[in-house]
Amino acid sequence: MLSVEGVGKRFGDLWVFRSISFELSAGDALIVLGRNGSGKSTLLKVIAGLASPSEGKVNLPDGDSRRTLGLSALDIHLYHNLTVKEHFALAAELRGVEPDWPILEQVGLQSRFNQLVGELSSGTKARLKIAIATAAKPQVLLLDEPGVSLDEAGREAVRQICEIQRTRGCLIVATNDPLERSLGTLELDLAS
Amino acid sequence: MNSTWQAEIGAVFRKELKTELRTKSGLFSSGLFSIIAVIAVALAGYGERIDPTMGAGLFWVTLLFSAMISLPRAFVSEEEAGTGDQLRLLARPHAVFWGKALFNMLLMAATSVVLSVMFVVFTNLKVDHLLLFALSLAGGCVALAISVTLCGALVAQATNRSALAGVIGIPLLLPFVAMGVGALRVSLGSGSVNSGLISCGGLYAFALLMGAAAPNLYAAIWKG
Amino acid sequence: MRWILFILILGATFATFWVPDAASFQHPELARIIFFHLPCAISTPLFLFFGSYLGLRYLRSKDKQWEIRSVAANEIGYVLALLTMATGMLFSKTQWGAWWQWDPRQTSFLLVLLLYAAYFALRMSFTDEKKRADVCAAYSCISAIPAFFLIFIFPRIPYIVQISFHPSNTIITGGFDRAYSIILSTLFVLILVLCSWIYKLSVRAGLLDLRVSELYGNMETDGSGPAPTGVVRPISLSDKS
Repeated sequence: MLSVEGVGKRFGDLWVFRSISFELSAGDALIVLGRNGSGKSTLLKVIAGLASPSEGKVNLPDGDSRRTLGLSALDIHLYHNLTVKEHFALAAELRGVEPDWPILEQVGLQSRFNQLVGELSSGTKARLKIAIATAAKPQVLLLDEPGVSLDEAGREAVRQICEIQRTRGCLIVATNDPLERSLGTLELDLAS
Repeated sequence: MNSTWQAEIGAVFRKELKTELRTKSGLFSSGLFSIIAVIAVALAGYGERIDPTMGAGLFWVTLLFSAMISLPRAFVSEEEAGTGDQLRLLARPHAVFWGKALFNMLLMAATSVVLSVMFVVFTNLKVDHLLLFALSLAGGCVALAISVTLCGALVAQATNRSALAGVIGIPLLLPFVAMGVGALRVSLGSGSVNSGLISCGGLYAFALLMGAAAPNLYAAIWKG
Repeated sequence: MRWILFILILGATFATFWVPDAASFQHPELARIIFFHLPCAISTPLFLFFGSYLGLRYLRSKDKQWEIRSVAANEIGYVLALLTMATGMLFSKTQWGAWWQWDPRQTSFLLVLLLYAAYFALRMSFTDEKKRADVCAAYSCISAIPAFFLIFIFPRIPYIVQISFHPSNTIITGGFDRAYSIILSTLFVLILVLCSWIYKLSVRAGLLDLRVSELYGNMETDGSGPAPTGVVRPISLSDKS
């Protein structure tokens, strides 16, 4: 489903990581571990095609990556001047799919439809990001530190989304959180 | 262009419009810039009567600088707000480019209307050939919008983006501005109609070339 | 090989002083700068458009070697443009009496210089190498549109030809005698060969630099210890079934 072959990334003369190789099939959940600055987020961005690998290559599942891939990361921000509903609808329109409204309820945003994104708390924004990442039912879902700024209910929603994701494809979570670590079936330690 | 392309371009365009209308900062400041620039030009004339060729030149320089100030924002603001990656995950590059370029064309059209009225009021210039005036401005707005949208996209991730947009945009557009002046001076009553029409044709040819090249170049640099 | 080139250029340079004056200029004896001005002016667009073409190849393949080639061609094109401008200004001063005339050809060449100066400003503004390569290649391609207009179309617009001081087709109309033409063409070929040789050297140095950073880049550290290397593979968790 997803294969990463000898991928490395460097900034200038400094290699962040090198020779990362793995293959994931449906039902796999890979946890990427590593200290701050070890390249967890960068690896996810390389897989998502937002950053090009300095060596090696990433093979994504066939099809349009707008629909087959979802990524939620801390440093990918939302449009503050759109409402939750508009933002969610925009994502669906750009991907060329119908908006999957129930997912907004699943992450607990049903009462926030008409609120501006800029007025949301950081936890609520994180929920919206995860909802947008999963809205097109992607085959590959990438979550970068999904639990940060989420409360207990938010973490439970993430856990459920991860379970559902494993029934239709694979999942990669970059985290150092022990609770999120328990979601995985495989681990990759970037510090080693 | 099939319906999904239209829907995607429309989605980007509506997003730009909504975001702009809710803050109004960009719209207001670019409108105000046009007014200030015209007043500055009129003042610099020191009460002298401006002839059509000089007027056309000043008009185009003002239009060019208005474009350089307001249009690169379409892409620069995405990177400043950290939303660029969100867009790269969700959209296709051509849809993003054309959505933003269309929004910039609208902004340019509004700017050129404000500029035209202000110019006629402050400089006492008379428009002899209204059709040529309108045609050259329309072509100018389209070409400026497309070119400066691309410039914005090129500099969006650079370190000194606001200065850089002008540095790369102005030389790129100066030949085009020369054609714009060539058409406008005729519409204001100086030079032969034939040469005005040729310059106007040049404007559209430039717009067409930019329209063909810019989205494809943007698509080539779209993802990291 | 390079010695032969050196001797030939030296010989041709001496020949420019030996050849009889060209009668068609105001101060014929001072017109010899033409021998260098014209070859530079003709070579400039060759290298600049070649640079744009190589930039396009880079964008299509994303192979870094094309970027190195494109930058090398643009750099040489830019130096040639500067030389054209400098020799042109000398010519302008001696023949027309002023360094700068706002002659349409001078102006259009000045715009070309600005266009490519912006290219180098753009190169300095990115810290990420990949981003820099992408953006500069795209700019190099798009700037070919106004550059083409400025170099090939603008100077040939009938109105511009009328008002320009600049001789536009002296060679074609036989404005120079035979010896003048032969030395001019020889110098053009020699300058082209010299520039191509510099281009090849520049590309070789760039490719070597690329190879070195690929091979030894991992030796560099950020001060917090060696950069992570080696194959990292997923480990099945033992406590999961």
